Amino acid sequence: MNRLAPWLTMAFLLVLWSALASQYPPILLPSPMEVGHAGANHWRQIAEATQWTAFAAISGLVMASCIALTLAVAFVRYRWLELALTPFAVLLQTLPVIVIAPLLVIWLGYGLGVSMVTATLVCFFPLLTSTHMGLSATPKEGLALFEMHNASWWNTLVKLRFPYALPLIFSGLRTAVGLSVIGAIVGEFVGSNGHPASLGYQSMRALRSAETPLGFAFILASAALALVLFGLVRLLEKKVIGPWHSGAQS
Amino acid sequence: MADPLLQLNGLSFSWQQAPPLLSNINLRLGPGEIVSLVGASGCGKSSLLHVAAGLLEAQKGTITRHYNRQAMVFQNASLLPWRTCRANVALPLELEGDPEATEKAQAALEQVGLGDHGDKLPHRLSGGMQMRTALARALVGAPDLLFLDEAFSALDAITRKSVLAQFLGLHRSLGFGVLLVTHDIDEAILLSDRVHVLKGEPGQLSPELLIEKARPRDLSWRHSAELGALSRQVEALL
Repeated sequence: MNRLAPWLTMAFLLVLWSALASQYPPILLPSPMEVGHAGANHWRQIAEATQWTAFAAISGLVMASCIALTLAVAFVRYRWLELALTPFAVLLQTLPVIVIAPLLVIWLGYGLGVSMVTATLVCFFPLLTSTHMGLSATPKEGLALFEMHNASWWNTLVKLRFPYALPLIFSGLRTAVGLSVIGAIVGEFVGSNGHPASLGYQSMRALRSAETPLGFAFILASAALALVLFGLVRLLEKKVIGPWHSGAQS
Repeated sequence: MADPLLQLNGLSFSWQQAPPLLSNINLRLGPGEIVSLVGASGCGKSSLLHVAAGLLEAQKGTITRHYNRQAMVFQNASLLPWRTCRANVALPLELEGDPEATEKAQAALEQVGLGDHGDKLPHRLSGGMQMRTALARALVGAPDLLFLDEAFSALDAITRKSVLAQFLGLHRSLGFGVLLVTHDIDEAILLSDRVHVLKGEPGQLSPELLIEKARPRDLSWRHSAELGALSRQVEALL
């Protein structure tokens, strides 16, 4: 029954959607069938757009992970740096990315660069917070053990702090991976002129030209992309920490 | 008289701006001796152990150490959950760059009767086996002095009995000195050559209670009238 639950919910939502769609013209609310037809007729366009958005989202996630890990390590090493930079990290988080995106277009020009940076920006804060929390949560007995055997700071980081932080880092990654797709698409809304024709650009173009079923198909492709990326992170989590961390088993 | 392994003279300790936790602590621990510190929870026993091991810095007093290697066993086994038992035991030697860390770890595991469990992750072991792995990790580097921070208190009564018996056997054959912190008076008397009580605010050590029972000691001594009488003496000091 537990395994069936999400499929039953999905079936219920499709039935509800079909029922609602029958009350409105397709330009306002297309039915699942109409969206399916539009998707099948334009599958090459959708696949290409999904590839570009996936590239931007994954690049943003990787860049944000690298910056967040470096900063979190520096915060653990140098407390003054944490005190100096944390307010600015919070400030960056509170700035709506849709406001920053036009600035990025001015600085970087149209293209994938903008969506890669917006994806990086939205992923960065949850990754920094979770990585920093993880690196700071090392049990004191473990630290005492390493200190007692004169372990270097680097050895303590690599052999103790980092592995202990992995469950929290993965928790941050799970949050960030969905945000990375949102960040990339927001960047594409503002920073794409059709080259490349990514999901954000294509969905906006379709909706503006009243091709609502195709617009819905692009939106569903975005959701599918986020789900696939989330699944990949879960797989990686199970592979890396699953054997010893119960939270990764479920 | 041989040089003591560890000697604390006039030691005082406090946490940053807090009132002193320990005051004028004097303690001597000779080679192969087991000395216990007994006291109520929060009296500063573990802090004193950490100061003695050099993990915390005392504000006053001197610490003299005449040993090469030390190790510590904590209340929970504190094994790294992503490392196999063998890799956990090898860790201290690995940190010191010993190329034979794995072989020595396997030998240490065999010493505590866990030779066949080296490839298992800690969560696959019982509490007693985890504690024995922690003991193997402490002993793998052949320490001269072992610090035990409530090491047996998290174990159930039956497991504790077998781990204590094994510990006494290892102490007899390897001859390391031990500074033991515990709140179990009977355990302190059973294992130790001398028992100190830590009490007061700031914590001060009572005069030592000498345990003259000859070694090797048997666990059955725990239920003897002699140990009961010593136990009452310690209780009176608390």
